[in-house]
Amino acid sequence: MEQSPAQRKWRVLSSYVTPWPLTKTTIGKAGDDPHPLVPYVAATLMVAVLTGVFWKLGYAFTPVNIALLYLLPVLVTAVRWGLWPSFYAAGIGVVCFDLFSIPPLLTFTVNDARYLISFGVYLAVAAFTASLASQLKERYSEARQREAVTSALFTLSTQVAAATNLRSVLQEIVRQARETFGFSTSILLPDSSDNLRVEAKSGFDNAGAGELIEPQILQWVYTHGKIAGYGTRAYKETSLLYVPLKTESRIHGVMCIAVVPVGKGASSVQMHVIEALASLAAVSVARVHLEEEAKLAQLTAESERLRTALLDSISHELRTPLATIMGAVTGIKESAGLLTVEAEQELLQTIEDGAHRMNRLVTNLLGMVRLESGMLRLNRKWSDISDMIGVALRQVQDSLQNRPVQVKLQDHLPAISVDDVLIEQVLANVLNNAVKYSPPGSPILLEVLEYDGEVTIRVRDWGIGIQADDADKIFDKFYRSPLSQSIPGTGLGLAICKGIIQAHGGDIFARAADDKGTVVTIRLPVGDASVD
Amino acid sequence: MGAKILIIDDETAIRKLLRVTLEAHGYSTEEAATAENGILKASMTRPDLIILDLGLPDMDGTQALLKIREWATVPIVVLTVREDEGGKVFALDHGADDYITKPFSMSELMARIRVALRHSVHQVDEPVLSVGPITIDLPRRIVERDGEVVKLSPIEYELLKVLAVNAGRVLTHRQLLEQVWGEQYYHSAGNYLRVYIGHLRKKIEDDPTRPKIITTEPGVGYRLNSPG
Repeated sequence: MEQSPAQRKWRVLSSYVTPWPLTKTTIGKAGDDPHPLVPYVAATLMVAVLTGVFWKLGYAFTPVNIALLYLLPVLVTAVRWGLWPSFYAAGIGVVCFDLFSIPPLLTFTVNDARYLISFGVYLAVAAFTASLASQLKERYSEARQREAVTSALFTLSTQVAAATNLRSVLQEIVRQARETFGFSTSILLPDSSDNLRVEAKSGFDNAGAGELIEPQILQWVYTHGKIAGYGTRAYKETSLLYVPLKTESRIHGVMCIAVVPVGKGASSVQMHVIEALASLAAVSVARVHLEEEAKLAQLTAESERLRTALLDSISHELRTPLATIMGAVTGIKESAGLLTVEAEQELLQTIEDGAHRMNRLVTNLLGMVRLESGMLRLNRKWSDISDMIGVALRQVQDSLQNRPVQVKLQDHLPAISVDDVLIEQVLANVLNNAVKYSPPGSPILLEVLEYDGEVTIRVRDWGIGIQADDADKIFDKFYRSPLSQSIPGTGLGLAICKGIIQAHGGDIFARAADDKGTVVTIRLPVGDASVD
Repeated sequence: MGAKILIIDDETAIRKLLRVTLEAHGYSTEEAATAENGILKASMTRPDLIILDLGLPDMDGTQALLKIREWATVPIVVLTVREDEGGKVFALDHGADDYITKPFSMSELMARIRVALRHSVHQVDEPVLSVGPITIDLPRRIVERDGEVVKLSPIEYELLKVLAVNAGRVLTHRQLLEQVWGEQYYHSAGNYLRVYIGHLRKKIEDDPTRPKIITTEPGVGYRLNSPG
């Protein structure tokens, strides 16, 4: 089966998808949290080292220099570990400054009251710097988190776009929600009777998801399209967060998330991630729905077109012979006594011809139905080609009338393993076409040759010929070449021929003949010994 | 020698059938398989009647009809298929004398041919029309049914008169409206036609629910059946 352009596009896209980074770390906490005491020990150490240096080289510094230098550990701790360690560093800094640098040394007593101002200024500057630096650090880590979230979502969205199977898409989303963002997630979609069912889940214990989800809240979220559950306005006392999978047009389902508790409710970063995941899931579901709908619409249009063609051609093809039969019968009844013997014979002949024509049509229609419904069973047996040609020629002798038909058979043709009745039908159809699409009295040539286990049957006429564009299309159901609009037909015959020949593992095609007319070529494998 | 009939149909079997039957009834026939050839033969052989299939391969049958009608008044009976109501009405409104739907019975076709030929032969208005049990005295404007006077409103009388003058032929809604109400009422009077036909049937039919004198041609118009 041929792939639609859309599918091909997805396939190409998928080769660019970067593999998901398999980090075990989760976003939302600092990447490398040290032991909580480490910053304080480090701050103490730094202040101690500075104090030692000042103690030894005290004469080289004025108290102002020392006070400024004591700001260094505050800065470092603020940038490295945040607000509280740097406040601590400021605290011990001011104590050491007082003890070791302000006379009288080694006491908390201060001789000169102006030093108290220095302490105040020092503490103020330290506190201000610390808070600034720690804010900077927070922003930085937030930005990094955000970037990580964004890139994770981007990768996920690329993968989602590449996948075509809805279930695997949703599975991927919940897996990433678990592994990268640390959320236990399950996605519920409505089934055919509009009951929500778990389509994908991750992070819940096997029994967990079904039991934790409260159907009442689920239904409320699905109907109202509003977020509910843990930390939100509605149903805030439950343990899960229920997010609707919403696109502009409709609500596709609900995503349930067990939020890692960080204070009250979900943090804003988490909320953003959850919303992004939910909309990603919604878009995936919507996309798959739309694809399905488009496919369905295409199918409907196609079958509608076929139905119209079928009705048109069959109503015409059935009604014409019916009209001749009815007209002839009523004509004979009406004109009793008026008709000469020859005229009556002629009318009877038109009745017979009409009946034959209807029979051909019905045979072809039934053949088509059998092919389409897969009911075609080949009744293969070893058959003689010249026999089959004889039968086919007899079948079409009425329409052949006095056409010169030349049959050229290669000497020593092997027997061929086919369903002889069906192949006769194919030959009769092809011969009928040759008659139909060529002028009265023009010859028809039938050639058969065998080469390397393959029998080739060629039927050539000197008729209207065939255009290159049409050569393949004439084997499509109901297709009629623009050249043949004036010649009655259903566009079924060759489609059936193709179906039958393909069922035999053979091939049938039509080409314009060199000078004038058409050559239809049938190739059939002689058949292997295993078939009998 | 009977009238000469030109058969324009692309189906060999239909042409043959018509030729054999028509010739048995004493008509002489000409045949054409395409519209172009048909138009040519219509001018060359001067037939007395044309049977024209509307489903021709080279040209829409209604176009062929228009071309023939440009210069000839010869009666034309069109052959159509059941679903093609629009084609029938168009053909009738543009000069076809009657239509017949495939598959048709030969007696029906013969009857149509006879009516069409009769109308083309004597165009002279007869003062008293007689259709089955109904007699219409045109100069005195009196309608009698089995000898009893039927009281008709002016419109009902006009409607019956138009139908009777064309007895045996189908008249489309448009033709009736134009001839009874006049051109300007064509769009507004559509519903009246049904109503007045109903009134007429009540007055002249034995069983108005199963009309025998004025029959409905579905989707096309009405026909006053001429006996015989």
